[in-house]
Amino acid sequence: MDRRYLNARSPLRLLEKGLHGGLGRGNLGLVLSGPGVGKTSFLVGVALDDLLRGEAVLHVTLGHTVSHVRAYYDTLFDDLAATTRLEDLAVVHAKIDKLRRIRAYPPDSFDAKRLREALALEAEAGSRPALVVVDGLDPASARPDAVRAWAELAKQAELEIWISASLDQERIEAVPASLRGVESCFGVILALEPAPGAVALRALKDHDNPNVSDLHVSLDPKTLLLVRS
Amino acid sequence: MISDLSRLRNIGISAHIDSGKTTLTERVLFYTQRIHRIQEVRGKEGSGATMDYMELERERGITITSAATHCAWKGYQVNIIDTPGHVDFTIEVERSLRVLDGAILVLCGVAGVQSQSMTVDRQMRRYRVPRLAFVNKLDRSGADPRRVASQLRDKLGLNAVLMQLPIGLEADHRGVIDLVTMKALDFEGANGENVVEGEIPQELRHEAEAARETMLDVVSMFSDELTEAILEERVTEDLIRAAVRRGTLALELTPVFLGSAYKNKGVQPLLDAVTHYLPDPTQVENTAVDLSNDEAPIALSADPQKPLVCLAFKLEEGRYGQLTYLRVYQGTLARGANIVNSRTKKKHKVGRLVRMHADEMEEIEGTGAGDIVAIFGIECASGDTFTDGSVDVAMSSMHVPAPVISLSVKPKDNKAQANFSKAIGRFVREDPTFRSHVDEESGETVISGMGELHLDVYVERMKREYSVEVQTGAPQVAYRETVSQRADFNYTHKKQTGGSGQFGRVAGYLEPVAEEGKDFEFANEVRGGAIPTEFIPAVEKGFVSGLEKGRLIGFPVTGLRVVINDGQAHSVDSSDMAFQAAARGAFRETYSKARPIILEPVMKLAVESPTEFQGAVLKTIMQRRGTIVGTTEEAGFCLVEAEVPLAEMFGYATDLRSVTQGKAEFTMEFARYLPVPAEVTKELKEKYASQVKGDDE
Repeated sequence: MDRRYLNARSPLRLLEKGLHGGLGRGNLGLVLSGPGVGKTSFLVGVALDDLLRGEAVLHVTLGHTVSHVRAYYDTLFDDLAATTRLEDLAVVHAKIDKLRRIRAYPPDSFDAKRLREALALEAEAGSRPALVVVDGLDPASARPDAVRAWAELAKQAELEIWISASLDQERIEAVPASLRGVESCFGVILALEPAPGAVALRALKDHDNPNVSDLHVSLDPKTLLLVRS
Repeated sequence: MISDLSRLRNIGISAHIDSGKTTLTERVLFYTQRIHRIQEVRGKEGSGATMDYMELERERGITITSAATHCAWKGYQVNIIDTPGHVDFTIEVERSLRVLDGAILVLCGVAGVQSQSMTVDRQMRRYRVPRLAFVNKLDRSGADPRRVASQLRDKLGLNAVLMQLPIGLEADHRGVIDLVTMKALDFEGANGENVVEGEIPQELRHEAEAARETMLDVVSMFSDELTEAILEERVTEDLIRAAVRRGTLALELTPVFLGSAYKNKGVQPLLDAVTHYLPDPTQVENTAVDLSNDEAPIALSADPQKPLVCLAFKLEEGRYGQLTYLRVYQGTLARGANIVNSRTKKKHKVGRLVRMHADEMEEIEGTGAGDIVAIFGIECASGDTFTDGSVDVAMSSMHVPAPVISLSVKPKDNKAQANFSKAIGRFVREDPTFRSHVDEESGETVISGMGELHLDVYVERMKREYSVEVQTGAPQVAYRETVSQRADFNYTHKKQTGGSGQFGRVAGYLEPVAEEGKDFEFANEVRGGAIPTEFIPAVEKGFVSGLEKGRLIGFPVTGLRVVINDGQAHSVDSSDMAFQAAARGAFRETYSKARPIILEPVMKLAVESPTEFQGAVLKTIMQRRGTIVGTTEEAGFCLVEAEVPLAEMFGYATDLRSVTQGKAEFTMEFARYLPVPAEVTKELKEKYASQVKGDDE
């Protein structure tokens, strides 16, 4: 099967060209949006990208159930499969299922320390993820020291960690005030905003690239994949 | 006869094992005066609870059989189906849900939403059963109804709203506050039979007002009238109840009630809620399929004047003889009437017609649409439809999963053979997921079902109810074989040496079926009469005969499509027999070229344990070729969800107990068939090869 094609519509492809090679191991990434714009779909897309490359992924959800998250993966996979010619679908799907672990925690009880414990447990059970996505963090509770702990963990464990946070507003012009001062902890900060018939993805920070204003793409509002031109 | 259908309720009580469901049912029967003494579930008085009437159930403290029972509450008729709680018996749960109009989901006030509650909830959703939640065991330490309500929202996605507040929890639990009437309810008397309405205790006043406001906020979504009344401050009890009822019937609201059945708290208000909020039979849409019109769906209406349609949802052979439980969907069922089985087209006369109360009964003359009754002495299978003969319909078939495990059984004492056959015959009739056949080679009886415990229970029942002690073989997983690529064939069967000869040639290909779940497909694309049409059925038969035993490990071949597109016949020597032989030969020769693979049943496993054993639990799954789907952590507990091959699950209960000091519990149900990994395929093939060799010697 041609995974390259499957992956070609991942928003990460375009961002990788613009962004300095994507997030990269050892880095902490942040995706911001208003409620219901598609953070979970975006993170699932990021995770699926790694899964298709044969990397193990840990998906932490704060607020959703395990089966809910799994349904996200299955739906996105089916969407991809339907629009792409794939052979041995069942085999690829089974492989992905084996590589992915989902962990659900009650909201506001999760931090870098809990993630460390979770990683230890997963390692014991034979899974060493290269990517961790943490979906549904409350940015109000993201105190500077907490953010630093996340960044430190990413560096130390050589992990790519993506965090999503929900904001009250739809338009996201800049990094929210609560996170100013710790911006340096993040390798990449992205914002998702609703646009007519699409979702706009914009970079607010890209490692040490001073000019991020032209890093933006349109995504399909359902799959959060690149809109094909 | 029930004259006013709006005063009839058919309800089920569903729950996780040990949530106190049987105790709750027992209390309901006591307060509705169907029984006059309360007995505890675990047989403290050596008799067990009334609904738990099978001896085995009594011993294990669990309910296996769904018995229907009838009772009356404040002018309402209520039929209660006691549904089993263990996953291995989900077919019974599902069949019960089919005949119910509403249900009570019982939750433990301490453990909250457990894995089984999720399964049951999913089933209820599938059959669109409106439900109330009852948070039980509030007398236990650690009980927290608010936490359970929030789990209903978070874990099950239900719009759960507290209709009551507890007065005291744990040892201090004494009653509830009704947020509709804003009264405190105390349960007095030796068995809590006197419900005493009083003022809300001062210290709870504030909390109760806040909770009522929250409740009104949620409930007013379902009634503009109530919304207006709230604004104008003229809310009435009836307005609230109407709104709650509307939301519940639409499956958009789950009202939550509280209590402790064991301590006789909160049961009567729950009964009131059943009459207030659960649907009557006319409010539930039921459809049948029209057998005379290509199974087109037709709606049924709970009208006693229309032609009779009823479903046999449960068979029991008790001390009174063969009993068939029926749900009447349309028309009227009366004693002495003739009814026709839609499957067999056989006519039966309705002899005795009874309403059941656990294992006692009450004779009736007749009943109408909506009711649940039992009849005597009619031979049929579970799931059969009966009509008055004027219509040819069947209740849409219920989803019956194929068995995933089998066990060879034989009576230890040869004299017990007659009883043994009788027992198996009855179990097969009662339970569509339980099957039995005689293995041609070994001559042994093989029973199959949905899990280890499922079969264990029947082995036990043979011993207890039929005094047959049986010897069992090792449990056998129901593997399947299938092909994974296309392979062409062109095979000639030829025996033309002297006497009447045999000749037939078939050509075409094998391939996997496109449609998931389809076992076999046969397509005839022969053009120009290369194979005369009269021989085509013989060709199909020849291929079908090869499906029974795959050539990889001797298990049934499924998911196969056969296409024949060419062939040849001989004017004298071709026959059905010759073409059957040609097809068999073609299959034998081509099967291995179609890259056959082995499929195995994979179970969905959910393990709940204290967090400190999480690592150990995960390991038990990894050791069993399991795929971990995810882990949910919450307040000292974790739930691990996984998919594990059934073949690896034997003895799991013992292993899990030993690595978690007995503090974990698990549920398991069939999920799907998946290909077996290469190394296991090799093992299975070697085992089969040595078996075949052993047979030859």
